[in-house]
Amino acid sequence: MMSVFRYRELIRNLVLKDLKLKYRDSVLGFLWSLANPLLLILVYSFVFGHLFTGGPPNLVYFLMVGILPWNFFAQSLMMSTGSILDNGTLIRKVALPMEVFPVATVLFSLAQYLLALIVFFPMALLFFKVSVAWSWLAFFPILVLQILFTVGMCFIVSTATVFYRDVRHFTEILLMLLFWLTPIIYDIRTVSDSLKTVLYMNPLSYFILAYQDVLYRNVFLSLDRLIVLLILTFLSLVLGYSLFLICKVRFAEEV
Amino acid sequence: MSKAFTIRHNKADSLKSKVIGIFHKRYREQRETLWALKGVSFNVSPGEVFGLVGRNGSGKSTLLKIIAGIYPPTQGKVQLPNGARMGAMIELGVGFHPELTGKENIFLSASIHGLYRKEIEDIYGAVVEFSELDAFMDTPVKNYSSGMHARLGFGLAVNLNFDVLLIDEILAVGDEAFQHKCMDQIDRFQAEGKTILFVSHSTDVVKKICDQVCVLEHGLPVFVGKPDKGVEQYHALLRGNHS
Repeated sequence: MMSVFRYRELIRNLVLKDLKLKYRDSVLGFLWSLANPLLLILVYSFVFGHLFTGGPPNLVYFLMVGILPWNFFAQSLMMSTGSILDNGTLIRKVALPMEVFPVATVLFSLAQYLLALIVFFPMALLFFKVSVAWSWLAFFPILVLQILFTVGMCFIVSTATVFYRDVRHFTEILLMLLFWLTPIIYDIRTVSDSLKTVLYMNPLSYFILAYQDVLYRNVFLSLDRLIVLLILTFLSLVLGYSLFLICKVRFAEEV
Repeated sequence: MSKAFTIRHNKADSLKSKVIGIFHKRYREQRETLWALKGVSFNVSPGEVFGLVGRNGSGKSTLLKIIAGIYPPTQGKVQLPNGARMGAMIELGVGFHPELTGKENIFLSASIHGLYRKEIEDIYGAVVEFSELDAFMDTPVKNYSSGMHARLGFGLAVNLNFDVLLIDEILAVGDEAFQHKCMDQIDRFQAEGKTILFVSHSTDVVKKICDQVCVLEHGLPVFVGKPDKGVEQYHALLRGNHS
């Protein structure tokens, strides 16, 4: 892990490269990274403000509170499946700490998540008539935990993809399934008890519920929920990084 | 030091092929061990230019990759003086992204080799000067000619301040003037006491600049010693192949 810090300049450059290349040569350029979340919010406002109504009060705000962190997680995971494999030419020719690749994909997705939030919060205050609450401060520790949790998961999928190329496609399906098994577009209090058990087996549910607590229900996170988040993050990092460390000596020969 | 690769026929890198392999013997993964290097051992003193010669597939590049730390050795180890910075030039311009400009690529590629931003800013001028590409720093690398690409790569490689340089057959690029410049640069490195390990098929160059050579044949070190003798051995191997 020290070597990741040692190579922070490389991580920075990898993230900047992806951000630059994503919108290079397009007319709007970097504005796209702001226009993207804006359009997403507008589409949801239209669909759930006019076509499907009902559900929790201030529905669109509720949805965005869950969807934006979900997108951060899903995008990181999807991108990181190829993060070792797609850098194969580099890995076969330069000795460098390969941890930087999954970490950089998470930070790239994080940058987009933060840009989306920059668009989202002013809109929430102006259009969704949300008022700032003290509990919003708890957003930052949850974000930090989510980042670390995501990094651990990305270590697992990036390693697995090197040995089984199927993981990329499997992850895509799994994420789709997981999306519906996470209380993002419905309120967990409205589902049946048996389904609740399933939802509580999904680690992502705890993160999304935490975001909803502090940003939507305006309550601080309860201690037991915080402990669950800490345990999940710890497990993800330890398992993910151990797997990565064990397998990384074989990466150069396998990619 | 030795290195074995596992060659897998019908390599099962998807779940499907693994599962099919259980039922159909014909599709099962077959493993075979290939010793790419066997019992290779030598010492290189600081400031020495060490040449590796041998026919295609004799294990030269594998050896460089093990020394660079890209592949782990199967047996034995590579020892480096404490704190020495190993620089690999397995390929010039590795890590260049075609869509990025020359300048962006210098920053990206130097950070791939572990430099900090401050260090990159310090060498930037020297890289541009060496590669003679001042006018093209804002051009995407995809529009470079192969010679320009190589010049940028070499300009970067020689400015990374490595203590040990690993060079894999990269002097065969660029025009004659640029090759002279590269040779001069290698002389300068020697004068600075840097160690160079160097793979080449050009026996003239090997004789001219190496202090010691190792001749590899099928992964075995058939000769370690003076360049003149090594080149003779190498030629003998080549002749043996044709008769």
